[in-house]
This record gives sequence, C-alpha cells and structure tokens, in this order.
Amino acid sequence: MKIGGYELRLERRLAPISGWGAAKISILAVIVGLALFSILFILAGVNPLSAYTHIFSYAFMSPHGLGLTINRFIFLLLCTLAFIIPLRAGLWNIGMTGQFYFGALGAFAVLYAFGAVWVPGAPDPGLSPAIVIPLMIIAAALFGAVWAAIVGFLKGKLGVNEIVVTVMLNFVALWLVRYMIFAGGPFMNPGGRSESFNVAPSACPPLIWGVPFTIFLALGIAVLLYFLLAKTKIGYQIKALGHNPAAARYSGMSPLKITLLVFIIGGAIAGIAGYHYFGGPCGAGLDKIQRNFYLIGDLAFYGIICGLISLGNPLAAIPVSLFFGGLTVGIRDVQGKFHMAFGLDYALLAVLMITIVAFQFFYRYKIIRTKEPKGRG
Amino acid sequence: MWELIARILEASTIFVFAGIGELINQRSGVLNVGVEGMMLFGATFGFITVMLTGNFLLGFLVGMAIGGALGLLHGFLSITLKVNQVVSGMGIWLLGFGLTTYIMYLSEAIGPLPTEVGKLSTIAGLSPFVYIGIALVFITWFIFYRTSFGLRIRSVGEDPSVAEVSGINVTKTRYLCVIIGGMLGGLAGAIFSLFYVTTLSYNLTMGWGFIALALVFFSMWNPLILLGGSLLFGALWKISLTPEMVLPGVMSMYIWRMIPFIVTILVLVFISTKWFRIRWGLAKPAALAKPYIRE
Repeated sequence: MKIGGYELRLERRLAPISGWGAAKISILAVIVGLALFSILFILAGVNPLSAYTHIFSYAFMSPHGLGLTINRFIFLLLCTLAFIIPLRAGLWNIGMTGQFYFGALGAFAVLYAFGAVWVPGAPDPGLSPAIVIPLMIIAAALFGAVWAAIVGFLKGKLGVNEIVVTVMLNFVALWLVRYMIFAGGPFMNPGGRSESFNVAPSACPPLIWGVPFTIFLALGIAVLLYFLLAKTKIGYQIKALGHNPAAARYSGMSPLKITLLVFIIGGAIAGIAGYHYFGGPCGAGLDKIQRNFYLIGDLAFYGIICGLISLGNPLAAIPVSLFFGGLTVGIRDVQGKFHMAFGLDYALLAVLMITIVAFQFFYRYKIIRTKEPKGRG
Repeated sequence: MWELIARILEASTIFVFAGIGELINQRSGVLNVGVEGMMLFGATFGFITVMLTGNFLLGFLVGMAIGGALGLLHGFLSITLKVNQVVSGMGIWLLGFGLTTYIMYLSEAIGPLPTEVGKLSTIAGLSPFVYIGIALVFITWFIFYRTSFGLRIRSVGEDPSVAEVSGINVTKTRYLCVIIGGMLGGLAGAIFSLFYVTTLSYNLTMGWGFIALALVFFSMWNPLILLGGSLLFGALWKISLTPEMVLPGVMSMYIWRMIPFIVTILVLVFISTKWFRIRWGLAKPAALAKPYIRE
C-alpha cells in the first residue's frame, strides 16, 4: 500500500513485542475504539466531542463524579487483578462476576451470623466494627476463593475448559444470589422488598480522606501481586506455566497446584470486590445487595479489557482501571444528560473489546514504512 | 404431557441450531467461544425487525444475516488477522452482550410481539423448526461423512497444510464454515427471541450459547450425538423453567434455574474422564483453535 510517497507493508515480527511496544498498541486501540464509539453518539444526535468532554470533566473534575469514579475504580481494579493472575498462567478467568457475587454473599453471611439483619429505622444491633468489618472482608475473600477453586481444580486436575465452567458458575451464582435475597430468602430485606437487608451502621466501613478504605486494600493487593509475579518463585512458576505448559511440567512443578493457586487468588480478590461494592459506604444505596445487582456484576467484564490492556501487569492495572472507572461513570452521566438509551456503558464495553481484540494483530505484525525510491512507478 | 414434550423439543431445537453451527465451525479448525454473542445479536435484531415491520419471516432472515456477518468478523479476526481464537471469540461474545443491551433499550421494541404475528403454522403440534433442526442434523452428518465437500472441511480442520498441498483452499473453506456457523448461531438466537420467549430482555440468552459450546465438546464433533445432547438440555431447561410441571413444590424455583448450568459442568467433567478423553482426543479436529500460517 502506498500513502504519500511512503510504501507501507506488513511484516511479521521476528522477536516477541516489547512491553512498551505492546502498551503503545493498546493505547492506540483505545483511541480507535473511542473514535468508533462516537458513531453511537452521532446516531443519537449528540456531538461526540462535547460528550467526551462531559464524560471526563464529570468523572474526574466534579466532586460527585470523582467520588463515583473512585468507587468504580476500586471495583474495576479488583476485577482486573482477579482476571490478570490466572491470565499470567495462561488461563481465562471469566468468572469474576460469579466470584464477585459470592464475595457479597460471604460478607452478608457474616452479618447474618451476628443476627444483624438490619433495615433503616430499626435499632442498631451494636456490632463491633473492628471485629465485624475484617470478618466480612475475610469471608468475602474466602467465598470468592472457594467458588473459583472449583474452576482451578477442574482445570488443573481434569483439563476441563475453564471458560465454559466460569461462565456456568457465573449463572449459578446469579441464581443463588436471587434465591438469597428474593421471595423469602435468608438475606431478604425484612421490609419485604426484593433486595438484601442493609449493612448496620455499626458495621459501616470507614471513609479515609473521604474515600472508601477499600482503596488501600486494592492498591496494596496490586503492589503485593506485582512482587509475587516479579520476585518470587511462585510468580516465576505462574509465568512459566503461562509461557509453556509442557516445559513447566517437565521442570518438575505441579500444574495442578499453580492452576488451583491462581484461581484461588483471583477468586479471593473478586470476592473482596463483592464486599467493597455492597458492603458500604452507608447511606448511598451501596450498603445492600440491590435487586438489579447483576447490572454491576456484568460490568466486571471490564476487568477483561483492563487486564488485556495492562498486559497482565498488576501495577499497570492501576492507571488503566482508573481510566476505565472514570469512563464508565462518566458515560452513565452522559446517558442521562443527553437523554440517551440505557446500556451505553455496556455498548462501550462491546466496542472497546472488539477493537482491542483486532489490534492484537499488531502484537505479531508490524507496519514497515519505507520511503519510495525516486524514479520508480 | 404431550404439551411438555412439544416444548422440550422446541427448546432443544435452539441448542441444535447453535450447536450445529459451532460444530461446523470447529470441524474446519476454528474455535468460536462467542456463539452466545451471535445468538444475542440474532435474537435482538430479529426481534426488532419483526416489531418494526410485522414480517415474521423477515425477522429470522435478519437474525441469520447478522449472525453470518458476525461469523465473517470472527473469520477476519481469527483467520486473516490470526488473532488467538479464544480472544477473538471473547470479543464477539462481549460485542454481542454490550451492543445488544444498548440497542434493545434504544429501540424500545421489547415486545410482546403483536398477536397477529408470532404464530407459525404447526405440523403435528410442533413448530417447523423442530423438523428443520432434525433435518439439519442428518444433512450435516451426511455432508461430513458421505461427501467430498465434507471430507475437505474435515481435512482442513485436521491438517491444513496437507489439505493445502492437496489443492484445498484452507482460507476459503474456513471462511465458509465460520459464516455458516454464524448464520446458524444468529438463527438460533432469532428462534429464541421470536418463537421461544417472545419478548426481549436484558442478556436474554442467559448462557444458552455457552451450553451449546459445551454440547459440541460433548458430541465429539458428531452431529448425531449433538442431537442427543440437545434433547437432554432442552428437557433440563424446560424443567428448570417450569418445575411444577414435573415435580411440584420440591425446590425453590431459583435453585431449579441453576440446574442446567450445574449439569453442563458435570457433562464437561464426564468428558474429561480417561475413558472419554481417549476417544475425545481421537475425534478432536487436530488443528482446532490453531491459526493456519502458510509456510
């Protein structure tokens, strides 16, 4: 192909692409994805430029939007990390959604066990936050880990396709949450509404500098995982399994152990996201499992996008999740402001995902640009 | 009782269409984990078409066309661009999930279907799709095992470089198969929304596409076994939706709804056992999920 005196041609990369090179491709893919997505704005009669300006100014500049962005960022970062760790071992965890639901169930099971089935207006059961909140987080991580361990075991022991199993477990978890919070289920709101009971005020998580304390948990996990992957023997084994399963097996490590481990880590992290999202802060409707909990549960799939863009690097996942956290929050506001149809954030998920997939082509091929020699053609 | 069997057969038909599409796909060596996305597209576009035009037949054709277009996209990504087929399939699935959610709310044409459409003339109490589906199974079997065209597809899925040497156009054959697979997936979605549930709702196919994918693994790429698996899952699905028809008052309806998904996992575990794995390994298209790079 010839453009402006330059000859462009595709060439297969001989060496694997560098981390920075891949990052540049990801950034380009996101820009192209957002440009493609502006077609939806144009079709709805909205100027894409003003829409994007609004998205970013709302998400990152306005106090209200920024609060939502940070909350969404914590959720997305945890989902991304839950996706990344199995990915580094060459495994696909599409089950963040189900593990997230299980985490929520674990957190509410602790409150239930303490008899703290609370609704606004009822007397506070007087829980001790220093005991209950850590217990809720541990239970959330444990529930998520157990749910994911099923996948890890089936994959590691029997080689069962982890994608199908995680998707199936997502649906099982979805119906289990409905069973728990609808139609007389154990976690149902005593007021008779089809949602869970609320987190009692004495079990409400603290805000630190005005942000949910879970942000420190999420950032801490990201740093820990970075060191796990970069500096430890287990991290080395995870990466070895991802690079070459056969060689990893010959080197004497147990693929079952590693497979189980990466899913348990991923599931625990997604479970903590379940605590983060439904466990508080109190008073903003975020202190219960809402009846349409699946709308946020399905946004966990953004973790796939963030994970692919950050190339499985837990530290890179931090800015990437922040960006997409803001994007999803801002787009929901644009939807209301410009009277667009519901589901714009899901449509963005769709367009970005397919663009990023297409751009993976450039991981293996590059465009060579050469000046056309004079006097030819 | 007859009513229940008829509904089970109609549910099974949806698995048959989606499953045969995926089977043809995989036989040519292309794995498509995005059947669910194709079904969502077929379901949504087919349904909106009928709501807008009132033409029932057109809805199914649009569903098929959009499925075929997605098959083409999957082919472009996985055959031409040689992207990892799992990644590409994930892309198709999330494209279907995200975009159809928005389009559904945008169109506001979520049904129910006007009463004057939505009626298919039944043959002996069953929808024509049941007969078409069963015929499709046998036609596919016949093509694969009794025609040279079927042999060509299978050889492309087994060893593309040998196929290429013997004069078969691998790229063309694979494209043909992914487009046919996509059309059948889209049609399955259109049957689901237009004939089976008759309304649109959020993420309406609810994992049917993934179950169809699991059924193809289970079938060992044999259309006849796929038919059996589809019947089993059609029955499970129908019973899980309306358990009171079979076992009234045994469990909460929410627990019943989990059963098809749990059984899918059990089936996958079953086919991973040693006994099955040996046969499975022999039947599996050797080049499945491997992009063909001409040397």
